[in-house]
Amino acid sequence: MSNATDEIDAATVEVVRNYLTSAATEMQRTLIRTAYNTIIYEILDFGISLYDRDRNLIADSPGLALFLGANDYALEKVVEHVGEENMNPGDVILMNYPYWSSTHTLDVGVFAPIFREGPEVPREENELIGYAATRAHWLDLGAKDEGYVLDSTDVHQEGMIFPGTKVHKGGEPDEEILDLIRFNSRIPDKVLGDLNAQIAAIRTGKERLQELHGKYGGDTVERCIERIQDHGERTARDAVRDLPDGTWSAVDYADGTTGDGIRIEVEVTIDGEEFHVDFSGSSDQVDEPLNIPRGMTETVCKLCFKSLTTPEETSNAGQYAPLSLHAPEGNLFNASYPAPTFTIWTGIVSVDVVFKALAKAMPERIPASSGGDLNDVMLFGEDPDTGRQFVEANNDAVGWGATDEHDGANAIMHITETMVQNIPVEVFENKAPISFDELSLRQDSGGAGEQRGGLGLRRDFRIEHPVGALSIIQKTREPGWGIDGGEPGDKNGIVLDLHDDADERVDVLVDNTDLYDDDELWVGMFRGTFHEGELISNRTGGGGGYGDPYDRDPEAVREDVIDGYVSREAAREEYGVAITADGDIDREETDRLRSESGS
Amino acid sequence: MSQHVTERLAVDIGGTFVDAITFDRETRSVSVEKASTTPAEPESGVLESIDKIGTTLEDTEAFVHGTTLGLNAVLEREGATTGIITNEGFADVYEIGRTNVERDSMYDIRYQKPESLVARRRRVGVPGRLNADGEEVEPLDEEAVSEAASTLVEERGVDGIAICFLHSYRNPVHEQQAAEIVREAYPDVSVSISSAITREYREYERTSTAVMDAYIKPIFESYIENLDSALSEQGFDAPFFVTRSGGGTLTAESATDAPVHTILSGPAGGLIGASHVGRETGRENLITVDMGGTSLDACVIEDGTPAVKYDSRLEHQPLMIPVYDIRTIGAGGGSIAWLDGELLKVGPQSAGADPGPVAYGQGGTEPTVTDAAVALGYIDPADFLGGEMELDADGARDAIDEVLAEPLDSSVTDVSRGVFDVALANTVGAIREITIEKGLDPREFSMMAFGGAGPMFVPLLAREMGVDEVVVPEAPSVFSAMGMLMADVVYDFARTNIAALSDLELSDLESTFEDLDDEAIDTLTDEGFDEEGIDLEHTLEMRYLGQEHTVEVDANGIESTADVSDRFERKHEDRYGHAMDDPPEVVHQRVRAIGRNDKPPLERADPVDASPNPVDTRDAYCFAVDDRTTFDVYDRSDLRPGAAVDGPAVVREPTTTIVFHSDQTATVDEYGQLIIDGGEVDE
Repeated sequence: MSNATDEIDAATVEVVRNYLTSAATEMQRTLIRTAYNTIIYEILDFGISLYDRDRNLIADSPGLALFLGANDYALEKVVEHVGEENMNPGDVILMNYPYWSSTHTLDVGVFAPIFREGPEVPREENELIGYAATRAHWLDLGAKDEGYVLDSTDVHQEGMIFPGTKVHKGGEPDEEILDLIRFNSRIPDKVLGDLNAQIAAIRTGKERLQELHGKYGGDTVERCIERIQDHGERTARDAVRDLPDGTWSAVDYADGTTGDGIRIEVEVTIDGEEFHVDFSGSSDQVDEPLNIPRGMTETVCKLCFKSLTTPEETSNAGQYAPLSLHAPEGNLFNASYPAPTFTIWTGIVSVDVVFKALAKAMPERIPASSGGDLNDVMLFGEDPDTGRQFVEANNDAVGWGATDEHDGANAIMHITETMVQNIPVEVFENKAPISFDELSLRQDSGGAGEQRGGLGLRRDFRIEHPVGALSIIQKTREPGWGIDGGEPGDKNGIVLDLHDDADERVDVLVDNTDLYDDDELWVGMFRGTFHEGELISNRTGGGGGYGDPYDRDPEAVREDVIDGYVSREAAREEYGVAITADGDIDREETDRLRSESGS
Repeated sequence: MSQHVTERLAVDIGGTFVDAITFDRETRSVSVEKASTTPAEPESGVLESIDKIGTTLEDTEAFVHGTTLGLNAVLEREGATTGIITNEGFADVYEIGRTNVERDSMYDIRYQKPESLVARRRRVGVPGRLNADGEEVEPLDEEAVSEAASTLVEERGVDGIAICFLHSYRNPVHEQQAAEIVREAYPDVSVSISSAITREYREYERTSTAVMDAYIKPIFESYIENLDSALSEQGFDAPFFVTRSGGGTLTAESATDAPVHTILSGPAGGLIGASHVGRETGRENLITVDMGGTSLDACVIEDGTPAVKYDSRLEHQPLMIPVYDIRTIGAGGGSIAWLDGELLKVGPQSAGADPGPVAYGQGGTEPTVTDAAVALGYIDPADFLGGEMELDADGARDAIDEVLAEPLDSSVTDVSRGVFDVALANTVGAIREITIEKGLDPREFSMMAFGGAGPMFVPLLAREMGVDEVVVPEAPSVFSAMGMLMADVVYDFARTNIAALSDLELSDLESTFEDLDDEAIDTLTDEGFDEEGIDLEHTLEMRYLGQEHTVEVDANGIESTADVSDRFERKHEDRYGHAMDDPPEVVHQRVRAIGRNDKPPLERADPVDASPNPVDTRDAYCFAVDDRTTFDVYDRSDLRPGAAVDGPAVVREPTTTIVFHSDQTATVDEYGQLIIDGGEVDE
């Protein structure tokens, strides 16, 4: 097999494919195993990829679903900036310039060219066979604030920038660069530990690709990769050909940091085997840390595209061949210098907008909107027991949209980070001076429909000791959407229950009290200091419904009422189904209600 | 017990067969029998196998039983109607879970949660709350517990109730109070309380574990009762043990109290056997490969102990009990080879036992790994399962030709080799993961091959991975039942007690260990062990402050907190590649209590100086020369200790076939094990 001459056999191709996939998995395990900060090894805030020498993605292992292919654009920029001819065996390159790296300054890309032999063999006698790349979230690197920057107006407030800088040269670390990092971070030990973890992951990928070339010979490996890419491309093209042709667009609004709304418009065109996404109708870039660099816009499209075409396969460049996108320079989705880019939440919202457009074309494939956000609440301060500084962040799940075949799932993490777990109540209460009053599904939060939207959840943080807190959330003002007569689910929102003196301590950035007719303080983004007894109630959005709620099987409505997913009142008002106090269907009344609506 | 009572009996229920095995301590003899599995009434297959082996139950001194009853109840959703009583405001914890989806579904926009074992209407919250220190913040509302029980039983028709309250790992008082109320009101309803099964934090995982326990308890109880009374009728009057998911056995009585501990015990017998045999023969570090019809199970045994994990899943639901850390991949004999465009894939779909591989001639049309093995010449069609089944070799070759070779414009031999290459690549990837994630180098291990298809496949795997030797034990296809005879009685005890190491005195740790030791010794002495027959193993689970993951630290004979800190740092360094400056924190203390049983000895024979003669030759594919060549065929019974056989060769046994290639050699060690070495794929 290793001396194959003409045609490469199918088994060798599969063996090589498997080898590459497990190399990427091993890179991920190495990173998780050696990383110093929980955001990497718990929240999985990283992306990992392997490339051939022409910079085609040959395997990946992203932690966040939204980081699939996130290094692809960045690698191009690294090679452009450094120059392929200047890359030598044993080099490791740092790059976190947001407009090239795809996200924000704290997601630091670490790249390495892979040569057939190690640094002991000089470049002239060596051969470039590929690249390894990791990106991972560092805790602190020269930004103006600790944790998250929520109010930057230009990128230089957001941290120190490496535009493509060799931190290892010919296998040797550059102590001057390491010093720069050390002196520009509030938490240098962890940051350098994470850098080393990324380098260890890259080394794993490098060794595995070298082994593969050693075992089969470069020629065989390259031909296998070609076949793998061809297969990926063919599979994706076949899938796109099965989709209807046409152009569809959709609009939604992210909150922004004031609540005034930032327009996100997406137009999707499918033409034969080509799939094109256009962001031209979206807002121009804004003075808030919500702009999306071009590379991240690519990953938004890749995530949506992959979920439609090759959801069960590991990624390679071939699968994305049919995909193209347009976002004009200076647009929200192609941020240009010096626009601030610290949070990617508008990118999160835009994923749902792409699906919203696609739902018009193929409602049988696309669910109604999900709750559509990551609903992040971050707590920070000093632990009263240990006196140590702590930061704990929790993203909460949303209801998923209903499909033509089934109800939406209750409380699942947003599609952009489906593998991320919440923090258990018992763990959280051990780590931070809070207790929880409640963690429950929100009754009636799922959009009504023949298929019902999934329920969002409610998590009540009771503050037990003064603590800093902030929220990162971008979809608290605009509702989601149903499909084919289905209703949107409840919106995301946070209810604060504060003492009278809280005005000076808590800065409400997005005030939503105008949207609700109760007496509660509904907000979106906030940042402040909270006192004992105050409450942060995180209430996440529900999924949209699918189909006319009056077409929902009354028996299914009855089951929902018994389980408390739907109240008796909502069953009557939204579904036209009368449920008696004993939990039976009142057939007569139901018929009357349903015929009255005239539908 | 009378003098002549010296026989130990083990019965293992598998998917297809029930294996019975006996060991007579006096005569030191072992015998084995098989009967068919009887899913509708599992005890009858067990009784038949015992009948076949002809043991006198009156003479049996211990009976060890491995059953997948609990597992099947979950897989087939045939367990009890189960309810949950928990804290008010948290009845949805069980449904919300950890909110993530598994890797395979990460891009699935139409994702659906797996069906819940407990519908929302059967989950009730009651007032009462403990804080993270285990202190009562609000007393348990006993009235509300009564009402909850009444609602669940009277209105929702539950047969089993799981009780799980926040922070019960620290203080089980509310759970115990609630259980008492429920039991008093409804003595027929089975009750599982989370803190009795595990004392670790993470409310969803603990609830799920208690639910799983409550779900299988009624079925398990009645099965054990039926079996026990059927055995008693035949004069059985001896301890009755059931195998445990995380190693060892527990008494049938304890198993009925918390049957969840048996739920993943299927592969346990083989691992117990492998670790015992490994220890006895000087191989403390083993990678076991159990390859059967539908899948391949791999596990790492390090320093004589199979890897255990505390966070497994069953049907997507977490189980917070110790379970052998086994990686299962779809590379069994029945795994189907197929084309995805022009890529050749193997598994995870399996032809199973019915219709089975094409070669079985039972209607299978999709070629499998077994069919490829037939086409490559490794299996004698006339001598499969000791001649009990004639294989359709032509059918296997035709199917491979039609489904795989023709579309790829390849030959049957080349594509069959390809099927092996792909199955190997899948397995290599999985084994690299289970070793490398623990910071281990697979090349420093021996491999042990068992299960029906293991001995044919594992020598190739070892070549591929640069592993020095493959051990094929005696009777590899019933190795799992054999392992049960070697099982000790094992209980695990743990406390979650989160504290910075610097805040602790050595005496704090020691006093918790003493409490756990006392509990452990009480449990085992109740079961008839004297203190000399009991081993206690102490471990600590530790991490750096701020971390979530813990590492397990050997805490036997700790001398000071500084000693603990050193051990932790060394372990962290081994496992994660670095130590940190952050203060270490203790999370869990664990005691594993082992009641040692008398085990069948490995029979030792002096080497003979005679080279065995082949009984036949076969034309088969040799991976060392990349071509078909002539393999010598031996009967295993002719291979006596000291014998050496050069590859390429096939060694026949009634229920399995051992294959090794021209760059490999097999020798028979003094215990009758076949040791295959040599042969490394060129890098």
